[in-house]
Amino acid sequence: MSLEEYGAQALTAAQAAGAEEAEAYLSRSRSFVVEVADGKVETLHQSTETGLGLRVFRRGCLGFAFTTDLSPGGLRAAAETAVANAAATASDPFNRLPGFTPAEPLDLVDPVLRDLSTEAKIDTAMAIERAARAFDRRVTRVEKATYTDGDHAVAILNTRGVRAGYSGTSVSGSITVVAEAGGSAETGWSYLFSHRRAGVDPEAIGREAAEKAVQLLGARTIGTKRVALIFDPLVAAEFLETIGPALSADAVQKGKSLFADKVGEKVASPLVQVVDDGRLVEGAGAAPVDDEGVPTGRTVLIRDGVLQGFLHNTYTAAKGGTSSTGNGIRASFRGTPEVRPSNLYLAAGKAPREQLIAEVSEGFYVTAVMGMHTVNPISGDFSVGAAGLWIEHGRLARPVRGVAIAGNLLDLLSGVEAVGDDLRFLGSAGSPSLRIAPVTVSGE
Amino acid sequence: MTRFRELGPVLERALARGGDFAEVFVEQRRTQALICEADRIERAATGLDGGAGIRVVQGDTSAYAFTNDLSAEGLTAAAEVVAAAARAGQAGRVTLPLVSREAAFNPEVRQLPEEVPLADKAAVVERVNRAARAVDGRVRQVTVNYRELDQEVTIANSLGFLAEDRRVRTVLAVNAVAAQGGVIQTGYDSLGGFAGPELADGDVPEKLAEKAARRAVRMLEARPAPSGRMPVVMAAEAGGTMVHEACGHGLEADLVQKGLSVYADRLGEQVAAELVTVIDDATLPGRYGSARYDDEGVPARRKVLIERGVLKEYLHSLITARRQGAEPNGSGRRESYRHVPIPRMSNTYIAPGKDDPGRIVADTERGLYVTRMGGGQVNTTNGDFVFEVAEGFLIERGEIGPAVRGATLTGNGPRALSLVDRVGSDLGFTIGTCGKDGQGVAVTDAQPTLRIPELIVGGTAHDPEGEESL
Repeated sequence: MSLEEYGAQALTAAQAAGAEEAEAYLSRSRSFVVEVADGKVETLHQSTETGLGLRVFRRGCLGFAFTTDLSPGGLRAAAETAVANAAATASDPFNRLPGFTPAEPLDLVDPVLRDLSTEAKIDTAMAIERAARAFDRRVTRVEKATYTDGDHAVAILNTRGVRAGYSGTSVSGSITVVAEAGGSAETGWSYLFSHRRAGVDPEAIGREAAEKAVQLLGARTIGTKRVALIFDPLVAAEFLETIGPALSADAVQKGKSLFADKVGEKVASPLVQVVDDGRLVEGAGAAPVDDEGVPTGRTVLIRDGVLQGFLHNTYTAAKGGTSSTGNGIRASFRGTPEVRPSNLYLAAGKAPREQLIAEVSEGFYVTAVMGMHTVNPISGDFSVGAAGLWIEHGRLARPVRGVAIAGNLLDLLSGVEAVGDDLRFLGSAGSPSLRIAPVTVSGE
Repeated sequence: MTRFRELGPVLERALARGGDFAEVFVEQRRTQALICEADRIERAATGLDGGAGIRVVQGDTSAYAFTNDLSAEGLTAAAEVVAAAARAGQAGRVTLPLVSREAAFNPEVRQLPEEVPLADKAAVVERVNRAARAVDGRVRQVTVNYRELDQEVTIANSLGFLAEDRRVRTVLAVNAVAAQGGVIQTGYDSLGGFAGPELADGDVPEKLAEKAARRAVRMLEARPAPSGRMPVVMAAEAGGTMVHEACGHGLEADLVQKGLSVYADRLGEQVAAELVTVIDDATLPGRYGSARYDDEGVPARRKVLIERGVLKEYLHSLITARRQGAEPNGSGRRESYRHVPIPRMSNTYIAPGKDDPGRIVADTERGLYVTRMGGGQVNTTNGDFVFEVAEGFLIERGEIGPAVRGATLTGNGPRALSLVDRVGSDLGFTIGTCGKDGQGVAVTDAQPTLRIPELIVGGTAHDPEGEESL
């Protein structure tokens, strides 16, 4: 049965269970993962999964249930528990569903990925490992090289007339390697994602991970100092991801955002442009509609350092008297659509990375961070472990690890001194290299 | 739901085209979540999730597939997918009949989730919300999460093992946001166990709320954390993130066997101070990381990983145990039927020592006193770890001084554990969801009050003139 047919049955079941309004979100995904190490296949995963997330509204109250059982009995059970859940929540006049707005289609399908043989997939993973080992003889171990692809279809139907759906393919490659020399063992990691097979170059993945590990060989901690930081694009993207929650209107409406009451104010260096764009096919978050069926688009959040506005879903838009920006996003059919960035990125500047480094007399080029999940998105305070290369007189002088960098995300945004030309996405967050005004680097 | 009698033929089908081991993991899980925010219950969500994961192992290669179709036909179809992927040649053997394994302990849950009406659970959540807001006028927002999991699993493998288990886990967590004059800070606390709704009996909701809210308010007035190397005393109540990161992950046998752990090839060697004994025990009654069996059907047991500083045992799945010629020790865990089992921790702790916890602070001239740890991470290859101090105080002349804002502590696992010079007689647990290879599993970590004479504190307060920047 098609996803739309399951969806229509789910809406009928919801209404029969007492829902006044309802929304069915269905997804069907096929995924394939192969992990190799030492030239051998370690794991082959294959799966196909179909599931339903059902939101129901009754007397202004919202209830939710999800199920992997799409039989008539399974749909009925989901509908009844969702309605029972609605009875446990508070009534809210802004609890509502969007109406239908047609969306421009978005091409997220690479037919090549649908016909690729298992052998070709294994070969890609092997090529990642080979490239890493070929980069330098000191690359002695490979934890695993991974090739993943998937095929995903979504349908969203609601009782206010939304009938939306799309499909997309995805492919990614990653590797973690260890380089060893003189009693020192260091790791390096790389990852690429694309909707198209041509977007994932196995050689580039292997090389980057190997380079990251090798350049850290012999790393030691340093004395505590305040110095300029340079973030490589992936580290910068990890930091950018942590400001995502504060750019959600939900956090603002609940008094949990660093940016509350700051629209029109300077919140970052004038060099900073932060954009969310659900139609950007380079990002993993690309889709023609969000997970409520609202068309996605481009939202400029910070322009020349000045805060422009926030991301909305249907609920926060109703509450704030505005329209949804198409950012009602779910982790999967197992969750409700909450306000989240689609593809959040900091726009590229003009300076090559080499120039960012060359202009620093003493600084720290950060290539790896640890403990990013401990960054507090509400207070903005961060303190994370870091490793990378120490810069002296504009040159990469020696590797450093076992240090921490700490500060506040707002100071980090204001402290951006230069923006690189090398924008790159890590999944759904993207950034170029950034140079940041001096920050405390804690060491011995 | 498939009866276990039908699993024998499924295993045979999985091994039909070769392989030396096959396994079926059948799971039915029901989850219930309640979220209170903005002073009202905003989300109530139920998950009805069921599926089976089938695995065939041939040498060092595993093929895995899962299905949501739990009928005999659905399982057979999934078994054929893995059999085709394994393609090892001669059919493998299945030992029949499948025989149930005896568990070493039987955790009791006083109340099953379905025995308590949703409205009563919602009332608990509302009590937490009210109690947190009542602590101080500066508390501006409170988020309360109530989560319960009721998971039934049937695990059968080609060695003839069969295990059936029901795991009930409940979590109550609160995050308070306090604000004053442009400063915004948070305070978090959580409670969880292998338990049903009885977890929140008595005044548990109020106590939890007050702890989190007081922490948020205290952080408003806290000064920036120091930076640099200094002595650190961790209180028992701070939980066990340090031991989890400093050695727990490095003792997982998959990482060890790949040479990705600083603890590889060190069995029988001194890897920590003599004061340090590290135990992983999935049989602790009521603890969040406990279970009768691991997710490969191996009965849970207590493992002394490090005994008086000497490395004794790694955490094993069936595959890593076989590779090393060791006994499986019940550490093969998975997030769900969608995931392969890998070596994981359960309830991990440093055994209490003999020191009076109060004396440890009194005997410390200056340093950092940690009363709540947050999350952490480790690079197992070189042993470097970080963990978050969610609440800490300066120690000044042997006394607890002013509060400092959160900072990461950075150290190196074997080095930090070798330096431990005081171990208290107390023990405090915290719960967490431990992430590895994209899989989250329920764990607890615990430590007695202990002192490490030097760790790097990653704060922002830096005095370049001072000898030691405190």
